[in-house]
Amino acid sequence: MTKQVESICPYCGAGCHIMFSVDEAANKIVDAVPAKGRTNDGTLCLKGHYGWDFLNDPQILTKRLRHPMIRKGGKESPLEEVGWDEAIHFVAGRLTEIKNTYGPDAIMGTASARGPGNEAAYVMQKFMRACVGTNNIDHCARI
Amino acid sequence: MTMGVQEIEDAGLILNFGYNGADSHPIVQRRIIRARQKGAKIICVDPRVIESARIADIHLQLKGGTNLALVNALCNVIYTEGLMDEKFIREKTTDFDEFVEVIKKYTPEDVSPICRISPEDIRKAARLYATTKPAMILYGMGVCQFGQAVDVVKTLADMALMTGNFGKPATGIGPVRGQNNVQGACDMGALPNNYPGYQSITDDAVREKFEKAWGVPLSNKVGLPLTHVPRRVLRPEDPSKQIHAYYIFGEDPAQTDPDINEVREALEKCDLVILQDIFMNRAGQYADVVLPSTSWGEHEGVYSCCDRGFQRFHKMIEPPEGVKVDWQIISEISTAMGYPMHYNNTQEIWDEMRRLCPSFAGATYEKLEATGGVQWPCRSEDMSDKGTVYLHKGKFSNPDGKGRFYATDWRPPQELTDTEYPLILNTGREVGHYSARTMTGNCRLLRSLEDEPGWVQINPEDCLEYGLEHGDLVRLESRRGWCLSRVSCTDRTSPGAVFMTYQWWIGACNMLTNPNLDPVSNTPEYKYCSVRIECIEDQAWAENYVVTEYRRLRESMGIDVSGEEAAVQ
Repeated sequence: MTKQVESICPYCGAGCHIMFSVDEAANKIVDAVPAKGRTNDGTLCLKGHYGWDFLNDPQILTKRLRHPMIRKGGKESPLEEVGWDEAIHFVAGRLTEIKNTYGPDAIMGTASARGPGNEAAYVMQKFMRACVGTNNIDHCARI
Repeated sequence: MTMGVQEIEDAGLILNFGYNGADSHPIVQRRIIRARQKGAKIICVDPRVIESARIADIHLQLKGGTNLALVNALCNVIYTEGLMDEKFIREKTTDFDEFVEVIKKYTPEDVSPICRISPEDIRKAARLYATTKPAMILYGMGVCQFGQAVDVVKTLADMALMTGNFGKPATGIGPVRGQNNVQGACDMGALPNNYPGYQSITDDAVREKFEKAWGVPLSNKVGLPLTHVPRRVLRPEDPSKQIHAYYIFGEDPAQTDPDINEVREALEKCDLVILQDIFMNRAGQYADVVLPSTSWGEHEGVYSCCDRGFQRFHKMIEPPEGVKVDWQIISEISTAMGYPMHYNNTQEIWDEMRRLCPSFAGATYEKLEATGGVQWPCRSEDMSDKGTVYLHKGKFSNPDGKGRFYATDWRPPQELTDTEYPLILNTGREVGHYSARTMTGNCRLLRSLEDEPGWVQINPEDCLEYGLEHGDLVRLESRRGWCLSRVSCTDRTSPGAVFMTYQWWIGACNMLTNPNLDPVSNTPEYKYCSVRIECIEDQAWAENYVVTEYRRLRESMGIDVSGEEAAVQ
């Protein structure tokens, strides 16, 4: 079964609407055609047309991350796959330690200007402000 | 942007200033071309012959790093020739006299040798801008990525103010935002001085509102901008203000920040580096913890496009096993740290945000779905509030409702050329690739269009002087680092100035760039540093180096390279 899903391009600030055809059984996008969004008016650039292939993880440049990983033996040791509980508790424990030792302003966080979306950005800045207790939150707007 | 993207094609004139839409936002550029077809005049200000320059009535090919001198001179001409909208200035603005005191010093004759543009061309451009209505200014990183950037933005706004080009259709000034959700990250308060909705953390009433909503006391101390992190890890002026933990979410500072040798050193030294992303990247190689998240296509939410447009994006496929949605990962860490956060879906988060942000309050999911999106401000949930196409209609957002003139003197970039480093390096985007390249570099078709090590554009005169042929590999050096790149012999760039794109690992121009920052925005001076070129005698060695180094880097990112052909020996 192929379903049609309209979404927004993940590249650049133009905010183009794209109509995707999705093969549900294969869990893959099979086609992208321009939709009539306010900004793109039925047109797309080459990234809009062809820029979704990375979801297939073709392993050309880098590999999709699929498991949490920790360097258990410090900076020089390799990243080792761990379960989510261990990863979450490791991060929470280390951040709490650093906060207790040096204060909340010793911790810096970023939000993403890319795929995660506004809701994730909101949650990240709320986490830094309400949980960590610092306004050290920024993103790559300048870049 | 004060205007909507759809308005661009209705402009009578477009001042295209330090903005290369053809490479950065081809679909926005399409509107510029459409405007041209409908009869608009175009003035292009850029040190290179970009696509907009080729369709422009006037191309002011200024020397890099001289933006404010030029804008002050354009204002000077508009003033001295009496081309202002005096009624608009009188009724809608303040501080005009102070502004004139500064700009009257910037005559075209004085500015001409600084910018390397003739006084006649400066006059022609100023007259054309001031006398064609409606006039719109579009600018990009060619304004923002300098040590003096905010001053230029404000003075471009002065040009629009003095000619009455605000608060009407197809006027105003438009910073065309680079990444898909850079506007959104700002909207959501991922900034060291603002809560969501541009509400200041130092405003007591605002802070109390957020304290009440979030149930904890909040800091009123402005936070650290991202670009200060390397120095605050490596060389804090006050050791008690050192950064010890860096939670990097959805970006790759070890590729896209300036002076990446310094960034990488900081990541090595920082006690705790957390990377949350979809692909392994250069920063991940320094991370103590890696948290894998869902990608665009695997989750849903709202993005803000460059003209304040909230638009819903949707989940299309199921994510790989083992990854989690970003907001869920963050909520779980927060809960484990003793501040419970729990949401069932993105709509719950969005609705919490809307309740706290008056300018966004009316942008319900229901409305975004029904209309395809709304441009904020959108204050009422009622379906009749369709948002705001252009800003400043009737009045400005200052407390007195007036637009404020601002002027200051030009200052040159920090690192000027000299005999040791005689060339100006300017950097920008690649049309087929995106930011850190982890997404587009993993798209088979886009990757086949352009790959390592990228190109360095060099003027034919300079190529002749250095004995370089198109396609040669060269070594570029600055005071901070070096990289290899491939020569593109082209008169798109002026003699003495070279241009590179920032997507490449081997041709990594950020090995060279200078982390000098604008004092207000803290944006780095990506568009200007001094470099030198070293020719490589043994081109076969260099070609081999690119192949083997590229393979080594990809292997270090977890790619199986065993089946690939060996490099040519």
